[in-house]
Amino acid sequence: MTARERRTRILQMLQLIPILSVLVILFGGALVMALLQSLGFAPWFGINTFPDFSYFGSLWGSQTFWVSLWLTLYYATVSTLLALVFGTMLALALIKAFPGKWLYKYLYKLPLMIPYTVGIALAVIMLSSGGVLSRIVAFAGLIDDPGQFPQILKTHYGWGIIAVYVWKQTPFITLAVYAVLLGIGRETEEAAAILGARRGAIFFRVTLPQILPGIVSSTLICFAFNVGAFEAPFILGGGFPDTLPVVAWRYFNDADYTLQLQGMATVVSIGIVAGVILFAYLWVYRRYERRMGRH
Amino acid sequence: MAGGNDTLSTRLSPFQKIYLLLVAGFIVGPFLPVIIQSLAFRWAWPELLPGTWWLEQRERSMLPLAWDYVLSPYSRVWEATVNTVFIGLVVTAICLAICLPVARLLARESFAGKSAFEFFLSLPLIVPEAAIGIALLMIFIRLGLAGSYAGIIIAHLIPTIPYMVRMLTAVYQGLGRDFEEQAMILGARPLQILWRVTLPMLLPGVVAGALFTFLVSTNIFLLTFFLGQGQVITLPTLLFSKISGGNLDTTAAGITLIVTLPGIILLIISERFIKEEAFGKGFGS
Repeated sequence: MTARERRTRILQMLQLIPILSVLVILFGGALVMALLQSLGFAPWFGINTFPDFSYFGSLWGSQTFWVSLWLTLYYATVSTLLALVFGTMLALALIKAFPGKWLYKYLYKLPLMIPYTVGIALAVIMLSSGGVLSRIVAFAGLIDDPGQFPQILKTHYGWGIIAVYVWKQTPFITLAVYAVLLGIGRETEEAAAILGARRGAIFFRVTLPQILPGIVSSTLICFAFNVGAFEAPFILGGGFPDTLPVVAWRYFNDADYTLQLQGMATVVSIGIVAGVILFAYLWVYRRYERRMGRH
Repeated sequence: MAGGNDTLSTRLSPFQKIYLLLVAGFIVGPFLPVIIQSLAFRWAWPELLPGTWWLEQRERSMLPLAWDYVLSPYSRVWEATVNTVFIGLVVTAICLAICLPVARLLARESFAGKSAFEFFLSLPLIVPEAAIGIALLMIFIRLGLAGSYAGIIIAHLIPTIPYMVRMLTAVYQGLGRDFEEQAMILGARPLQILWRVTLPMLLPGVVAGALFTFLVSTNIFLLTFFLGQGQVITLPTLLFSKISGGNLDTTAAGITLIVTLPGIILLIISERFIKEEAFGKGFGS
């Protein structure tokens, strides 16, 4: 390496400093601090029992934690799967030519552009017991009091939460799959059709393997987001036991500040659970790729 | 081919036509009652349309009716809008400045630990936001950044950097370095090359990345809510405080529509000026 090359090299590395300082110090630092605090390191509260696993012990020892974990994963998984199916179907339809396609390209991206809180407001006006759906049912003469309308929001089934996630994330998955579909073209599908493959076979054996990278990356992002989402379960959830992010927030805002450490243990648990699931997902996907002879 | 295969037809199947209509209803349908609610004076159950519209009671507006209230300073809508746009612009500018050199490096150089670095860069996308938010809040309280614009702007960088880097890297990969080399041979200085060759060629991708970053920033709720501590309000947190009780009155309906507006504007801008593939590039694995 000449001195000049070395100088450009150093210059390049210097340009990485801003991004690294944001990600390492803030993002990495936040995670490390969360871990330390969940293990009893909080000298500013006069608490320093590091390493102390009692916060995790009492958290994981309580039954409500496991209910919360189950609810968190249930909402996240169901809505990611629904968004995946709806989004892929939408991308497959959008790839075709039809009148009014330009309008659809605006329309389907709308939820992507607006905050989750708008989705929650829509769920409230549509699905609450005094909402539009309940009025329509009443108009049909099936009920004559809003109390008779089956409760959709604020139950642990989480229909409202799932509806908001699906509404917001279907466009996200559509966008990712649509971009991949545009990239691969139709030649392989045509070849399969000429060779006599049926519709189902073409989708599952030709199209799906090719759009899989887009599906995996977009569902990873959606799932991780859903696990850590706060506002939808906070407003539309069924109350105690809440999903883990809401539990963590409640601990954190408790007047008893020692509960903040319990909150940190909850935060770290969310991270561990999400990490394990996402890595398992990626691992399975990598194995599949290797079996297909890619990478 | 006789009885041609449906999948390969370039036209929609009947099922797909129905599906598209259902999707349209699912996505935009719920906005209709919100618009009606924002214009209603009295809309009791089980009326499908309001019994009394706002216009009919216009002279009796001692009560803060939806739009009177939304457009008045009491609703803090204007304050939230200014905050949202301001934070979004600053986040976009900083994000662009720190991501451009990184994207250039990732697209053109190979170095030890590159794939690990790329993985690290996308990590904020897959670490749950609540975990980052609460952990950051602890640090920010200690640093005195909680409840400040600076704190929120820094926090917004975390989820926006991964998208920006990916989109800009894709742009750099498509650019090649021939033009820059030619300019160098012709005697251009590095800054001149950046300003007159690289940036104009990167511009479409940079605009796409900037729009997307702005969009992500304006939509962030959790980080703003946790780290803003109620002292800095943006459109998503303002709406949250209106609907956290679980019902949507006329003023909340008005605010919902206001919060939707920037998204519609961004949607139109991005569809008119950005090629379809540009957004997709952020998602390749």
